[in-house]
Amino acid sequence: MDIFTGLINGFSIALTGTNILFCFIGAVIGTAVGVLPGLGPAATIALLLPITYVIGSPVTAVIMMAGIYYGAMYGGSTTSILLNLPGEAASVVTCIDGYQMAKKGRAGAALGIAAIGSFIAGTVAVVGLTFFAPPLAEFALDFGPPEYFALTTLGLLLAVTLSGGSIVKGLIILVVGLLLAMVGLDPISGKIRFTFGSIVLQGGFDFVTLAMGVFGLGEILYNLESTLKTEIVTTKIGKVFPTLKDWADSKWAIFRGSVIGFFIGIIPGGGAVISSLASYAVEKKYSKHPEEFGQGIIQGVAGPESANNAASSSSFIPLLTLGIPGNAAIAMIFAALMIQGITPGPFLVAEHPDVFWGVVASMYIGNAMLLVLNLPMVGIWVQMLRVPYGILAPVIVLFTTVGVYSVQNQVFDIYSMLFFAVLGYGMRKLKFDPAPLPLAFVLGPMVERSLRQSLLISGGDLTIFVSRPISGTLVAIFVILVVGQTVFFIKRKTGGNKASAA
Amino acid sequence: MKTYERITAIITSLGGVWIMVYAWHTLKLGSIHVPDAGFLPFLCGAALAILGIVWILILQWKKEQGNEGSAERRLWHRPLLSLTLMVLYGWAMEIVGYITSTLIFMVAWQQIIEREGWVKTMVISLIGTLAMYALFVYLLKVPIPSEFFVG
Repeated sequence: MDIFTGLINGFSIALTGTNILFCFIGAVIGTAVGVLPGLGPAATIALLLPITYVIGSPVTAVIMMAGIYYGAMYGGSTTSILLNLPGEAASVVTCIDGYQMAKKGRAGAALGIAAIGSFIAGTVAVVGLTFFAPPLAEFALDFGPPEYFALTTLGLLLAVTLSGGSIVKGLIILVVGLLLAMVGLDPISGKIRFTFGSIVLQGGFDFVTLAMGVFGLGEILYNLESTLKTEIVTTKIGKVFPTLKDWADSKWAIFRGSVIGFFIGIIPGGGAVISSLASYAVEKKYSKHPEEFGQGIIQGVAGPESANNAASSSSFIPLLTLGIPGNAAIAMIFAALMIQGITPGPFLVAEHPDVFWGVVASMYIGNAMLLVLNLPMVGIWVQMLRVPYGILAPVIVLFTTVGVYSVQNQVFDIYSMLFFAVLGYGMRKLKFDPAPLPLAFVLGPMVERSLRQSLLISGGDLTIFVSRPISGTLVAIFVILVVGQTVFFIKRKTGGNKASAA
Repeated sequence: MKTYERITAIITSLGGVWIMVYAWHTLKLGSIHVPDAGFLPFLCGAALAILGIVWILILQWKKEQGNEGSAERRLWHRPLLSLTLMVLYGWAMEIVGYITSTLIFMVAWQQIIEREGWVKTMVISLIGTLAMYALFVYLLKVPIPSEFFVG
């Protein structure tokens, strides 16, 4: 099936009544969680994973999940601009100039350019996904166990190094995620591992309980510690459609943001946060008026908001073509596909073209829906901030508890979710980034299987990982990354010590 | 914070050593030609043990910098109380049924965690319980534990 035929088929699937409805529901929920600080897209998708069992159709389930993910990128800018409070991690940088614009009475222009930039970048990235993903999937058909082992370990390492937090803590979480994935039956020998006599643990931990515990309840427990109250919005929004001058000032920032976001989104661990930071840095560096950044310049909103949206769409490329989720939210979508009995990877385009093209086509529709939802209706979303956390938190607890119970109708799942909630809470308290945990958990079985198969194929010869061109290249990147990070760390430490000695 | 971090780092290292022993002794490592079920767990255990030590060393290096202060006052007892409520809710759900346990949970949450007045507590609890019941039972057709009092 060529790209255009696939896309036409995709539109015929995405434009059915049910799929349009679920795309809309995803876009609405995504915008809502983007607006509400303290509940990110990964947590929301985790909370909704049990619903995918009820939905039945994999295309419909993933269309909704994808809508939540890129919808959150649209909604995240609203609180950044109006309250100087990022609704979503990727919108942190939008606070800098967006809030300054709002203070100058230009909140409407900032919100408008954020929505339009997001729409353009989101669409550009989906076009990229349309043309880039099928050939990449075809290329990945040549991958054997050594290539998969090299790719998954590189992806996991990138997820840790690019997350921006402590690398040591990131690596610890990564290893913990791999170990949690090993609980239950060994995939090759059938031996039982880490169950300590428990029969229910023989099937391993369920991804839904892990995701809902660490991301859903863990976040709730952490937020409950906070004594800060959400301010009631008093900022006047004004006209949301940007003027011709605003458009002229922003168009190149939107274009650059789209390109930066698209390429950073493809890299595992890249994602929306890094792309928005990179876009802001580029805009400031190449601006004729860098001194105006931080004072409320429109390019400081247009670039990062475009970049985070482009990245959220392009991060579907490694998932749909290689079966490698690049960030926590995409790992949840990976799980949603697995729940439906579909393994994401190079065979997805050929074996489930309805899923691949249906989801891609729905992204075009979803982006258009989000533009309508975010431009004229921005005032309604802002009102959502009036919902007290005292109501929201117990409702989320009820939702997760019944949701996780409904998967297998056993109370054990509730307790294992609470165990993961405590783990997630502890991670936040000790300033661990929880993102590598679900990535390691979903990729764990693939890492182990490909490592052991590679060693079996080669008779224990470790050069199998470097002697094949693709895995060799990936291993070389891995080594460069590790050596580079180590040298950077030592230089920073010795430099810091010299400075303090002086 | 540093004391907690140091304790966690030590636990990480010791946990890593324990996993290595468990993988080597109970699961068996196999050989490099035919790796067994304990092969990757052993490597992961070794990695945890090393990373825990590296973390302790980093904390030693950072000694002089002092603790970061936070302007916000944080209430540690609220997560603890809410976790206790969640455990009790999970336990009670199959014993007294979904509606009763959910209603009790909502009332307890509003009274203990949020310290709301009784009128607000009852309104939020009743609406919350009925909304969740409608969503899961009527809309999503999810099987939930039946009521003890109804039979």
